[in-house]
Amino acid sequence: MEFGKLEREIRIDAVPEIVFDVVSRPEHIKRWWSDDASFEPVPGAAGELVWGDRAAVEPITVVDVDPPRRFAFRWVAPEGRLPDAGNSLLVTFELEPSGDGTILRLTESGWREKGWEAAVLEEAFRDHERGWDGFLPRLQGYAPSVVPR
Amino acid sequence: MTVAVDDELWSAIGDPIRRRLLDLLLAEGVGTPTSLSDRLPISRQAVTKHLGVLDRAGLVHATPIGRERRYEVDEAQLTRAVRQLNEVGRTWDARLNRIKGIAEQIQRQKHA
Repeated sequence: MEFGKLEREIRIDAVPEIVFDVVSRPEHIKRWWSDDASFEPVPGAAGELVWGDRAAVEPITVVDVDPPRRFAFRWVAPEGRLPDAGNSLLVTFELEPSGDGTILRLTESGWREKGWEAAVLEEAFRDHERGWDGFLPRLQGYAPSVVPR
Repeated sequence: MTVAVDDELWSAIGDPIRRRLLDLLLAEGVGTPTSLSDRLPISRQAVTKHLGVLDRAGLVHATPIGRERRYEVDEAQLTRAVRQLNEVGRTWDARLNRIKGIAEQIQRQKHA
């Protein structure tokens, strides 16, 4: 596990061509993520993910389109700015044929560049060998001893 | 929904020294910059600065006591931070499961 990166892997019983369409085409993204999605599947293209009646709008920048192997985009930039290297999170889907199906690898990186270290914290939290996950039990254990203000 | 994160809260707990400070405060209930700097390899001034960051993120509260300030952890805000950390991983797990469901459905339709 590389620090500053969120990683997931999942096996899908569908060929890479199908999985690629599902992760990279707005009409499919609307079914698994946002209420609406619009972008051209071209590197550098700007687009957006929309929730509700534009209650939340998240600009995205398409980074890499290599069917049926790889699709990448950036999101979560500071308010009013387009996502680019250094100000946003990079989401990459990598597809690899596996028998009749596909191994889909997701990475989301850029946490460190944003100064969050969220992936580090999240991983540490899940890993019981490390210290950060002791927070909640300790909180429950020590909360009663906290001196009232 | 869109990613539910709070920049200030996350960068506050993104620093290992500040997590150590939270650990100490949780273990001991309360602490002052002086008592905390005795336990850490950093100066009292540095501790005060880190406590200020935690305070602005709402993770600790200060009560003046003589010439010092006594700090304690805000349980509600810490619980919220912990929940947000877990949320990031879980939301991607949920999205990936939906991607799997949709792709496999299309595959089955093709071969039906």
